[in-house]
Amino acid sequence: MNPRCPEITGPRDGGGAARRGRPILSWRRTLRMSWANVRNRLGRSFLTFLGIAVVSAFFMSSFCYQRMVDAIAVGADVHARAALERAGVFAHDPESAQRQRDRRVWLMALSVAVCATGIANTILMSVTERVREIGALKCLGALDGFIVRLFLIENLFLGALGSAVGALFGYILAILQVGFTLEFGLISAGSCLRCLAAGGPIAVGAGTALTVAAAIYPTYVAAKMKPVDAMRSEV
Amino acid sequence: MARREMVRTQEVVKTYRMGAETIFALNGVSLTVYAGEYVSIMGPSGSGKSTLFNMIGGLDRPTAGEVYIDEVDVAQLDPFELAWLRCRKIGYIFQTFNIIPVMTALENVTLPMAFAGLGEDEARDKGARLLDTVGLGQRLHHRPAELSGGQQQRVAIARALANDPAIILADEPTGNLDLKTGSEIIELLCRMKEEQGVTVITATHDHKMLAASDRVVWITDGRISRIQSREELDIQIGAIETRKT
Ligand SMILES: Nc1ncnc2c1ncn2[C@@H]1O[C@H](COP(=O)(O)OP(=O)(O)OP(=O)(O)O)[C@@H](O)[C@H]1O
Ligand SMILES: [Mg+2]
Repeated sequence: MNPRCPEITGPRDGGGAARRGRPILSWRRTLRMSWANVRNRLGRSFLTFLGIAVVSAFFMSSFCYQRMVDAIAVGADVHARAALERAGVFAHDPESAQRQRDRRVWLMALSVAVCATGIANTILMSVTERVREIGALKCLGALDGFIVRLFLIENLFLGALGSAVGALFGYILAILQVGFTLEFGLISAGSCLRCLAAGGPIAVGAGTALTVAAAIYPTYVAAKMKPVDAMRSEV
Repeated sequence: MARREMVRTQEVVKTYRMGAETIFALNGVSLTVYAGEYVSIMGPSGSGKSTLFNMIGGLDRPTAGEVYIDEVDVAQLDPFELAWLRCRKIGYIFQTFNIIPVMTALENVTLPMAFAGLGEDEARDKGARLLDTVGLGQRLHHRPAELSGGQQQRVAIARALANDPAIILADEPTGNLDLKTGSEIIELLCRMKEEQGVTVITATHDHKMLAASDRVVWITDGRISRIQSREELDIQIGAIETRKT
């Protein structure tokens, strides 16, 4: 044991193996505690989950729709061309077609950014309202690193699950959209898989990263606070 | 027998800057508390009681002066040692309970045990025993929202006792409770002191709570103005009772 924290000898000292334990939880128990926190705060967790799922679904559906339409446009025969024109996603001269496409992509990116900002704010709040709890945890002997780890895992759960469910939903939506605005017969299995492989990792990766980043920054700040200040915080 | 020093503060000063002004929340407090003592800290609102508690508990750092817990200078501890101190050495009880709202009573009590590295089964048994001691044996799986204020404070006491601390710091533990519940809480703290030899330091406004204390430390404007021992208290309480009858 550390020389500056000598073993206490009084009658009040707990004994045995527990004394040598470090005030940090094993990964297994941290994992379980994170999961319990997610479950116990179902309302809040669900909000984060839903938010990130919506962003992810929106991104995925726009992304895959565009990819599939592009794939159809490449080798379009007369029949496919007619379908594209009916849907209004095809113009005769390639230049204006490109302009149209650029505008759609730009609009989509902007919408995703706006949604993401809103979600980040929700997640930020979900941590901020728990600063007092972080203070209490510190009083009970939690290390800063443990607190950050706990919140990291919690939000990793929510972010990964939310963005994966959202991506799946968005993907199905994109296929349906192509099918109903164009024709189901025009969708090739290859382009279907290719856009899933391209968009899925982006949606899940970025969604998870966004959730974790938005949560970890305030957690880190709160964990670094003196317990008095954390417990004084009003939200 | 020489009494063991549990807490010693030496000329502790804490200042807060409010704009151009400097507030002396504590202005040179030197106090020694011995192992197994029950010390009450009294003083008007804003006199610096909570500030002193935070210094003793290692929840805040003094501007000047030193705090020793069991001969260890708190300012010299690294974060790991400080966490160890908060986990094992000190049990905190606050006016606002500060138990974790989404956890059951038992989960709240076993949390610090987990930090201390106690196995889960052991922790559950010990937690149940502690909750039974504070009279909540039938409420193990209730959430704080399903408990009364007094019951929540009992959970906080059980949690403070989780790792058999040497010191219990209670900052106005009865502040949010009615008179009767408050007396029960004080009685409980007293019993812990008697049965387990914990050193108890509490702050209170309530003069009726003084009867339980071995010593009463009066603080005004960040300074100790008076320290009364058991004997002086008995005389004083006696006098109050004589006056009443
Ligand atoms: N974080 C802070 N920032 C500025 N001033 C503070 C802060 N904390 C305490 N003070 C000041 O320090 C002084 C002592 O406050 P403290 O909370 O210790 O009083 P107290 O004796 O606990 O009062 P009460 O009985 O009302 O709880 C007060 O004048 C208060 O305004
Ligand atoms: Mg106070």
